[in-house]
Amino acid sequence: MNITMNKILRRAFSAFSLVGLAVLTGCAAVPLGTPIASMENIQSAKSAGLGPTAVGEFKLATGKDARIDKEVGIRGSTVVSPYGQSLAAYLGETLKTELAAAGLLDAASTTVIKGFLTESTLDAGIGEGKGSLAARFVVVRGSDTRYDKELRVNAVWESSFVGAVAIPTARNEYTLLYRKLVGMLLADPEFRKAVAR
Amino acid sequence: MVNGLAASRFNPRHWARQVLLLATLALSGCATHYVDSNTKEVPVADYKKPVNAKPVQLLFEFQTRGAINTRATDFLKAQVSDQVKTSGLFSAVDDKPVAGGALLSVTLNNVPLTDDLFTKGFVTGLTFGLAGSTVSDGYVCTVKYVDAGHADPIVKMARHAIHTTMGASGAPPNAIKADSVTAAINVMTRQIVSQVLNDLAQDPAFP
Repeated sequence: MNITMNKILRRAFSAFSLVGLAVLTGCAAVPLGTPIASMENIQSAKSAGLGPTAVGEFKLATGKDARIDKEVGIRGSTVVSPYGQSLAAYLGETLKTELAAAGLLDAASTTVIKGFLTESTLDAGIGEGKGSLAARFVVVRGSDTRYDKELRVNAVWESSFVGAVAIPTARNEYTLLYRKLVGMLLADPEFRKAVAR
Repeated sequence: MVNGLAASRFNPRHWARQVLLLATLALSGCATHYVDSNTKEVPVADYKKPVNAKPVQLLFEFQTRGAINTRATDFLKAQVSDQVKTSGLFSAVDDKPVAGGALLSVTLNNVPLTDDLFTKGFVTGLTFGLAGSTVSDGYVCTVKYVDAGHADPIVKMARHAIHTTMGASGAPPNAIKADSVTAAINVMTRQIVSQVLNDLAQDPAFP
């Protein structure tokens, strides 16, 4: 009787410990924060000679694994997009935020920037964290395709072995990749030539 | 005999006590926060006011080790915006583009000042607070201002710190105790932003 009782109690405590660990390590789907405009990208957009521009569809590139667009994992937690559960859409919103802050976003413009997510990785390993983001950007004006190019950014950072430290750090570094990728687009001479008024 | 042996291996009361102790330590946050007193608030009345104040587009961002921290940004954005609005340095403050194209970027970057924070906290936890420890968080505030008349931004920086003691550790010198971590962050932010706004107002290139 006592042995049975002990088994039950052991299982109960094991379950309690697992739940406790899950709570303390944050096993959850964490949404990315609302994109924030940066002075560097605003100035870059203004100096690009860019006219009013529309941001079109941003989606996963054809033939890519659907999981790339859905989430990235950080030690049992996942980072997701607050925009339609699509990381490609988050990239589009980041670009919209920068253009709007520069006063250059116009949904009615005939110059449209589209994006196709090709890569999204995040690794919050112990010691070193790393992430990457890549997308193919296409600029069309009317029926004319003026720019079609894939751009890629990556980052490496110090990653703690403590999840409570490593997870938010990785999330922040991954968020920064979106700004960097948009910054790379706005600074690309070929892009600037394509969008010039 | 078998029953007795099993009972000696697993004592539910003993385990419950240990779990309760660990949970209390983990969740009670037995830490005290202090705002460093070396960086003081500059009163708005002391700012050099511009002759012709212009409207400005404000960008605020909180960073952790240089990476965007959107949650902390959301937490402090309204406070920083209010502080810039009431500074008297600008005729209007907006998060959208303004006439004249002036831009003010305020960045608050949290950088660790104490190495191996986890080990310190872990030792304090293992000794149930008997071995106290103090950790310090540094903050670097950078303000950049550009307008149509200046291609290069005016850049000003200030530094601040919040000290946190855990367990049986005395108050750090040159620091003022805060009621909570939230209060400490609010006070630190107000003081450090006042410093960079004051420095900006003093710059001869500022309107």
